[in-house]
Amino acid sequence: MPLIIKDEYPETLFRKDGKRLDGRDVNELRPIKMEVGVIKNADGSAYLEWGNNKIFATVYGPREVHPHHLAKPDRGILRVFYRMATYSVFDRKRPAPGRREKEISMIVADCIEPLLFLELYPGTSFEVFIEVMDADGGTRCAGTTVAALALADAGIPMKSLVSSIAVGKIDGKKVVDLSGIEDKAGNADLPIAITWYNEEISLLQFDGDMNLDEMNEFLDLAKNALKDIHKIQLDTLKSKYVKLQEETNKSMGKNEKKGDE
Amino acid sequence: MMDIKRIVSKIERDYIISNLKKEERIDNRGLWEYREFQIKSDTIASAEGSADVSLGDTRIITGLKYDVGAPFPDLPDEGVCTVMAELLPLASPLFERGPPDEQSIELARVVDRGIRHADCVQTKKLCIKEKEAVYILFVDMYVINYAGNLIDAGGVSALSTLISAHIPEGIWNEEKHETEWTGKYLTGKTLVNELPFVITYGKIEDIVFLDPNLPEEMVCDGKISISVTEDKITSIQKSGAATFTIDEIKTLGSKSLEIGKKLRKELNLLQYLSKIE
Amino acid sequence: MEEDEESVDDEFEDFEDEEDEEEDIREVVVPGEVLTEDVKNFLPGRGTILNKEKNKIISLNIGLKQIKKNYINVIPLRGFYTPRPGDKVIALVVDKNPVKYKCDINAKDFGQLKPKNTIKTGRTRGFRGGGPPRDNISTEKFDIGDILVVKILSADRLNKPELTTVGKYLGKKTGGIIITIDPPKIPRVIGRNGSMIKMLKNLTKCNIFVTQNGRIWLKGENIAHERLLIESINKIALEAHTVGLTDRMQEYIINEKKKRGIE
Repeated sequence: MPLIIKDEYPETLFRKDGKRLDGRDVNELRPIKMEVGVIKNADGSAYLEWGNNKIFATVYGPREVHPHHLAKPDRGILRVFYRMATYSVFDRKRPAPGRREKEISMIVADCIEPLLFLELYPGTSFEVFIEVMDADGGTRCAGTTVAALALADAGIPMKSLVSSIAVGKIDGKKVVDLSGIEDKAGNADLPIAITWYNEEISLLQFDGDMNLDEMNEFLDLAKNALKDIHKIQLDTLKSKYVKLQEETNKSMGKNEKKGDE
Repeated sequence: MMDIKRIVSKIERDYIISNLKKEERIDNRGLWEYREFQIKSDTIASAEGSADVSLGDTRIITGLKYDVGAPFPDLPDEGVCTVMAELLPLASPLFERGPPDEQSIELARVVDRGIRHADCVQTKKLCIKEKEAVYILFVDMYVINYAGNLIDAGGVSALSTLISAHIPEGIWNEEKHETEWTGKYLTGKTLVNELPFVITYGKIEDIVFLDPNLPEEMVCDGKISISVTEDKITSIQKSGAATFTIDEIKTLGSKSLEIGKKLRKELNLLQYLSKIE
Repeated sequence: MEEDEESVDDEFEDFEDEEDEEEDIREVVVPGEVLTEDVKNFLPGRGTILNKEKNKIISLNIGLKQIKKNYINVIPLRGFYTPRPGDKVIALVVDKNPVKYKCDINAKDFGQLKPKNTIKTGRTRGFRGGGPPRDNISTEKFDIGDILVVKILSADRLNKPELTTVGKYLGKKTGGIIITIDPPKIPRVIGRNGSMIKMLKNLTKCNIFVTQNGRIWLKGENIAHERLLIESINKIALEAHTVGLTDRMQEYIINEKKKRGIE
């Protein structure tokens, strides 16, 4: 499809003032907003806006396995389906899932599975649906992050959450949280996820070129950024309940002052 | 475990029917009342138009993409607008993964016909160069939460998406024999000519009611959807095993025009026109 | 079957403990959160796990932290129903064949109801006496779409739950309507010593039957009362983790009745 901004990437990914094209510093995250319980029909659900990314995640399970032959007699199975809407990308995507989506589904499933206790639910299935409505770089990371929230929202016992982000190199400089254009036009892209139960890496990919020192720096950069992501996830899960507690305490406090004790 | 099952209990069916006979519904609506519509437009940055529409708890997020290509040989000076729908498995335990099934195809086609036969989209304005290059518009609807009556929610969502459109404006360069971009945009103002609304009724036994919610839809014997413009009926679709009397259809025809007028005024969809130049 | 509907809650002894500390605000915790590092003095209770490597007790769910003696528990705020023997639940018959009914009990597995568990059998008095001959029993009593109150006879990790309709308050239900809430919120709808459910019943003049799998049957004088009750139950589920809920709900219902002009 003809592009209005012709298919040439900008000359440089940094502005004259040293900031990235969207005004960020090298270590700055894009604005992130998360919410749980957004899809009432699902057992668990979450929604995330990360820069221009807009992603829903829902969880159904434990429930019967369809098709039945996939069921395991001694444990439950986890299936993740990562999909993108046709209009989520600049060039309209064909509706049917492609190879990239299937690969990402697999990687996210591998990342989440160790957190669950599947052996407690033999013969059943847990399904996680990740739907990208608007994409702008780092969707597999954002998808993993929001899927973790949806699982917690479903009340499925988990050893911990998992958080994910992409770090990389653009115009030779190391940056955190690549946007869409930085991902396409940059030199290196490292999506990574950490599960907080054992603080180890559960998702790792890399495309580009780097030397050993650079890799070590990338991993350290990522770990710090991931702590920030984790905090946002925790706040999102708690705030719904804590807010209600605070509100009702306030109104009760007023009532006690009114009445006599 | 969300408690939505394919089998509806007798208790639920009896409850809905006995209350409908008294013109009562659990969500406190009258028989001819819509649930609340909530609309947000142009929410998808990657799309050239979009609308996030909720009708009660039913939610559909629709986006618009375009392509430029050769027109159909029998319509050489007209562009094309196609509507697609997907019932995402995330929207309901009743939806399965896989290629579009009957329900999603029906949703897409009924919304499409409501738009097409109202001449809603000015397909001649979608022509860049006769016989050479026209716009092909893709209006893709994704159901995010299913709580009954996808069709009416879909209709409003597709229409709002077209209204919110901001498509790069192309002109034909005769020498180079290709499309060039002016840097300006075609918006809903140019593209959208009519505001059709599709209005769906459910029927249980001999009671007809507007905008079935989820339990009503699962229990109903049949539905009928009627698309209307300001003064015309532009498409009808009856589905399900229920039968309708001729009088019922006449009543619904006139009610639909009335309800359509009210909806057109209340929703005031033209407020979602893109402000881009 | 339509007698004293809320009596089912005298079986809910397990849940009484949780209402003890109703007055304290309990801390909201999330999966992976460290509840204590003092593994010498505390043991991991419900909803928690011991992270041996790191010497911590962590939460497995979103829930409320609770310390009982030296056990740290997490009472989940979200979750799904796991059938246990003795539970009374509301079942929906979704299928049947000549030898059994298949019932949806809002759990990961469907429950099985065998015909022998649908009729009271008398004491066998020998060859000529006793109940109906065993081989005449078939699945004629109930139909697909029937709502039954059943008791779980057996349920474990590997086998589908076995159900029975023989017993007090059990059997087919007619009339009324069923709603479903998140199973962890059910104890809150009952309240300490049944305080919440008694209040709901009195103020909304509805019969209410609350069961373990999150399903609640209710029937009122008219739809206005039923509507108010359903909205109240949903509000209880939303605010289940707050304190002073029974009083607040009472106030809410009284106000709403005035607003809506119902008695």
